[in-house]
Amino acid sequence: MFFRNLTLFRFPTTLDLSQLDDRLAEVPLKPVGPQDLSSRGFVSPFGPHAEALTHRVEDALWLTVGGEERLLPSVVVNDLLAKKLADIEQSQGRKPGARARRQMKEDLVHELLPRAFVRPLRTDAMLDLGNGLCIVDSSSRKSAEAVVSDIRHALGSFPAIPLNAEVAPRSVLTGWIAGESLPAGLSLGEECELKDADDRGAVVKCQRQDLQVEEIGHHLEAGKQVTRLALVLDDHVSFVLGDDLVVRKLKFLDGAIDQLEGTDNDDMRAELDARFALMSGEIKRLFAILEPALRLSRVDA
Amino acid sequence: MLRLLFPPRPVARPPSIRRDVVVLALDDGSTIDVLRVRDPRARRVRLSIDERGARLTLPSRASLVTGTRFLQQHRAWLVEQVRAHAANGLSALVPGVTCTLPLRDDWLALRWETGRYTCLARDGEGLLFRHTARAGHAALTRALRDFYEGEARADLGRWMPGYLPGLPRAPSRVAFKTMSSQWGSLAPDDGMVLDLALVLGRPSAFEYVLVHELCHLIRPDHSPAFWREVDARCPHWREERDYFRRDGRRLKTQLRTLLSARVA
Repeated sequence: MFFRNLTLFRFPTTLDLSQLDDRLAEVPLKPVGPQDLSSRGFVSPFGPHAEALTHRVEDALWLTVGGEERLLPSVVVNDLLAKKLADIEQSQGRKPGARARRQMKEDLVHELLPRAFVRPLRTDAMLDLGNGLCIVDSSSRKSAEAVVSDIRHALGSFPAIPLNAEVAPRSVLTGWIAGESLPAGLSLGEECELKDADDRGAVVKCQRQDLQVEEIGHHLEAGKQVTRLALVLDDHVSFVLGDDLVVRKLKFLDGAIDQLEGTDNDDMRAELDARFALMSGEIKRLFAILEPALRLSRVDA
Repeated sequence: MLRLLFPPRPVARPPSIRRDVVVLALDDGSTIDVLRVRDPRARRVRLSIDERGARLTLPSRASLVTGTRFLQQHRAWLVEQVRAHAANGLSALVPGVTCTLPLRDDWLALRWETGRYTCLARDGEGLLFRHTARAGHAALTRALRDFYEGEARADLGRWMPGYLPGLPRAPSRVAFKTMSSQWGSLAPDDGMVLDLALVLGRPSAFEYVLVHELCHLIRPDHSPAFWREVDARCPHWREERDYFRRDGRRLKTQLRTLLSARVA
């Protein structure tokens, strides 16, 4: 259940979320209807058999948006339509007009939809009430915004905005790789992406590479800037921070997992609870380091 | 039925607008880039200049020779206008030469230094442009753009929280771009775009543009009800609008000049 990617939004810490459970219960995930393409709603973070729609550890709140999506590839519809049109042309000696073809396509979709496979979707999110942070487990801005939109729909109002860095993240990341001191607790990983200043310029991607070597220095000297950088937090968490402020490839290392193995959890719920407690603690610690380094704005009036 | 019997005659697509750049050489050895636009809607040959640079518009029927002759005939006027525009602010960014940069209706002293990477940052009361020996113009302008965006986002971070409580929702994202004529826009998905040149002007004017775009979250039009929302949050908006009418072009020219590739 550990989050793999973090897309962050900020909301005012003064926001009243006391009614959150009740509001989420009003928009649960409903099975996708036979004629619907998709459905979305809130599900329990602990799985389909649990009831609680949120789980709280101190001021970290875990919630999950579920979805069901019918898979109806357009190539299947078009292929069936082509066969049907060929039959009509052979039997009647004429091609149906555009309007008739459109109607036939709609009829086909109606006929095929109830038989289409249903793909379940799940996106986890964490609300850090102390810092006013909404953290979505997705690297896609679009799907993260969809989760925020779902929360807004449930609450009526949820003034969350994407992180706002008051210094160019690219400059900060480039500075770190060029030898500027990293914030306490952070160390360089072995992955980075360097881009030319020109929008359509060269891109260099390095993996399993010592980042403080001469060849990287040559790229910086040519004017390239770091757009993604692998970092490690206290041997507990490794991640790749992008200049879009999205945290990717988040991985909990042995230093963190060891703490988890020390606990004796016999059931699944207790196990997930312990994992969430560990993860939320590490993410909060990571944010406390990144907030001043990237000068992230607060949204409290 | 009539439409089936007499289908409308297919309309010929108008010829597209074609653009290229001609370089006008001056007596002192310098050059001016002139954007040559062949526009089928144009009725006469026209030479104009704005913050985007010089533009020669040619109707479809006019020959390239006519355009070149027209450009040469009005060369003195063009040089005068280019100088007037340059005198408004600055020339393009040149290491060691550019010694001040505009920011928030003020001029900050700029110091140049060679280093391991290219970046522009605050240095006490002034600014420090650290650059590598091999950094090209693209790297310098990218660093400048990043610096201005950071400063603009600092303003945004200071003002936005104050306005969020009265809004039905927050903007889904805020991006800063170099806009040609507008100062801001709000997309149907609530994504906001603001002109980067706003950070060069006076802060109250920048704040007004932010308020203006935020009020579009309440009213997606310019109706009297919309202006009442703006008035409630920014009572001095008329002064700011006048400021843009008076100084807006200068701000856009300054930013465009600083980010331009050619040394003026």
